Amino acid sequence: MIDPAWVSVLSAILFTIGLWGAFTRKNAIVVLMCLELILNAANLQFVAAAIQHGDASGWVYAIFAIAIAASEVAIGLAIFLAMYGQHETISLDDVNLLKH
Amino acid sequence: MGGTSETISSTFIEYAIFIVLLPMLAFPIILFLGHIFNGNQTWVKSAKEGGLIALPIMVASFILSMLLISEFIGAGTGSHHIGNWLSFGWIGEDGMTINEKVFGVGIYIDHVTVMLLFIASFLCMLINIFSIGYMNTDPINDNRNHRFYAEFVLFCSGMLGMVLADSFLWLFIFWELMGLCSYLLIGFYYEKPSAAYAAKKAFLTTRVGDVFLVIGLVMLWNLFDSLDYAIVFNEDLIAQVDPGQLQLALGMMFIGAVGKSAQFPLHVWLPDAMEGPTPVSALIHAATMVNAGLYLVARMFPFFGAESMHGELVDLAFIIAAIGGITAVMAAAIAFVQDDLKKVLAYSTMSQLAYIFTGLGAALWLANSYDWHTDDKAHGIVVVAFGAALFHLFNHAMAKGMLFMASGSVIHEMHHAHHDLHHHDDHGDDHHDDHHDDHFDAQSMENMGGLASKMPITATAMLVGSASIMGLPLIGGFWSKEGIIANAWRVALEDPRFFLPAACVLIGAAMTGFYMSRMWLKTFAGKPKTEVAANVHEHTPWIPIPLVTLTFVSLSSVILAGMMFTHWAGEPNGGYAFFGEKGMLKGLIYEFEHVFVNPDAFFFVLTYVAIFIGAIVGPGLAMALYGGSLKDGEKAKPWMQPIINLSSRVNAKRGFDNSAWANSGLSNALKERLYFDKWYDAAMLKLVAGFANISAAFDRNVVDGTIKTIESTSQKLSTQVRRLTTGSARDYIMMAALGVLVIYMLLEVMI
Repeated sequence: MIDPAWVSVLSAILFTIGLWGAFTRKNAIVVLMCLELILNAANLQFVAAAIQHGDASGWVYAIFAIAIAASEVAIGLAIFLAMYGQHETISLDDVNLLKH
Repeated sequence: MGGTSETISSTFIEYAIFIVLLPMLAFPIILFLGHIFNGNQTWVKSAKEGGLIALPIMVASFILSMLLISEFIGAGTGSHHIGNWLSFGWIGEDGMTINEKVFGVGIYIDHVTVMLLFIASFLCMLINIFSIGYMNTDPINDNRNHRFYAEFVLFCSGMLGMVLADSFLWLFIFWELMGLCSYLLIGFYYEKPSAAYAAKKAFLTTRVGDVFLVIGLVMLWNLFDSLDYAIVFNEDLIAQVDPGQLQLALGMMFIGAVGKSAQFPLHVWLPDAMEGPTPVSALIHAATMVNAGLYLVARMFPFFGAESMHGELVDLAFIIAAIGGITAVMAAAIAFVQDDLKKVLAYSTMSQLAYIFTGLGAALWLANSYDWHTDDKAHGIVVVAFGAALFHLFNHAMAKGMLFMASGSVIHEMHHAHHDLHHHDDHGDDHHDDHHDDHFDAQSMENMGGLASKMPITATAMLVGSASIMGLPLIGGFWSKEGIIANAWRVALEDPRFFLPAACVLIGAAMTGFYMSRMWLKTFAGKPKTEVAANVHEHTPWIPIPLVTLTFVSLSSVILAGMMFTHWAGEPNGGYAFFGEKGMLKGLIYEFEHVFVNPDAFFFVLTYVAIFIGAIVGPGLAMALYGGSLKDGEKAKPWMQPIINLSSRVNAKRGFDNSAWANSGLSNALKERLYFDKWYDAAMLKLVAGFANISAAFDRNVVDGTIKTIESTSQKLSTQVRRLTTGSARDYIMMAALGVLVIYMLLEVMI
């Protein structure tokens, strides 16, 4: 069995990569992928905790989170499509509608 | 009905409230009718623009007053009658009204009320008659007389209400009502800047006094938990009050009286109040408003007379007398140099009111120091001292009302003569503006002279009025003025502080003799100084009625003296019937003996000194300076001709040049009214304007500044905050991440 500590470390690395990507990348799809990375980091953390404590509810949460992430991607891609239809770009630098 | 302690069920006391209510109800009626029918011929000719609506009201008020007075006198005891119409008390816990009046409507009648009531209702009625003659024949007043009559009746209602009030609270309410009406009436010609200014000045100056009156009333309320006469005049309750606090409260109220009665140092409004039409001057200066202050002080008598206050309130009595003494001399001195007929009378009013204040001060001192409840002799002295002051109030009101109306008559006829002379050709034209388009001053005595033969009724009225004010033996004010002077000196012999007011009133007697004679001689004796004065005729209807009436009233004060008026008027607890115990003739003999052959050597000499300087020195000087015979071929009535002849003889023999005096610094100072107005203006500029500037700066910098700082800071802050709102999704994510980090760290630190 893998030591849950290593799983946690992998989760932290994934989270950091995801956060860094979400901050720096321009392309909305890449940002969405980074967000998926963050979610998966969280899933790994759930799994690590489940192994550590021998509690099955961690696995259950992970399954839930995967399902939610799938629907989130669907919504996100739909938004990007709509955004592209309106602005003809999905570069986040060019879209600052929230300011107005 | 029903009510407090000494309510007497009687017929007319039930209707007494109509004395006040009738004029008050007439006010809106005249005003609205005037607005509706303005300019209508019937309204102008038959109703005299409201004058003939006001007149029956004032006559009814007068008749009701007389019925009330005769009933009071008929009751004979001279005690207090109290009528209650409405009475509100606190509601007790059981839901029943506690039998303690907190606020109500009622009247209170005693000897002081009765006298003021007669003066006010009688003079208001006469002034109303005079106004119909004076106001309605002056083209300048066309189409606005309804305003005059409406304000006039409201004013009368205020005065009558103040006199009849049964508590200091109602007294104050009507007092302020009068203040408002005086403002409106003085500013009747509001399009004239000087009139508007005078109205404001009168209002604001009396307001200064009124603030103190309110303070005094609040203090009185704190002492007694009531302002009802029936309660505050109760000797048992007075006995429980701290004398020092009572003195302070009464002193504050006295300042209110000083403002209303135009005494030093709040006198500046009264001469300017002459801007109003002459009937208003008569109303404010003789019948009503200025007497309000005297009435208030006379009302304080029960406090001073209470046994428990024995000797405790003499300081206030001295202050009252001293203010009176100072004003008497100061106002008389200023009257020396006034050329405006009405202004002479205004200063004369101030001076004579000051006499009454001195008399009241002396009477209050005596009541406070003498053991007059038990000692019969002391009792008599106190009663006569108080009665003399009240009698002078009566005499002065009658004489001064007459003098103002007579001066109005002169001014009116001067106007008309001027108009006839200079606008004869275009008589049919609209003559509205002829009063203002030239600079003829119809009020200046410099433009008069020699009117005695042309205006016999007016000249006679003026002569009798002046004699009454001067205190020429046997006429009008003589009886009362002697009493005031004698009592001031009586107090001075015991309390040296009183030498100031006592000396002032004695000197004032000579000064009165001078300025009143000067006024009469300059107006009526000598040769006409202008063409206008040579063409004056006395032909305005209505005006002679009050003049003749008051002439006889002033002449008949000897009868009142014979009726022991001074004894009766001053007696607070009854005991003297109206005619005294002696009857008319004996009463008269008693008064004569008392005045002319006083057994006390000091008062014997004092009487003759006062008569000498008041009736010979003063008028003699005036004759020497201003006397002169009429134009050749003209003769005055037989009772005036000798005076004019005498004046011209004195003038020819003893006439001296007074140009040195006339150009002296003192004379200029007097002409400038002793610079009081300038000082007050300067003080206003420095103090009030300075204070206003400071408050404005405070408002701008501190109050506004705080708000503006808050506003600008938050604006700046918000611009800073707004920069964070970039609109870029990544920045928001960063914020969220940072926020989570901060929350995590906070949790770390706290746990």
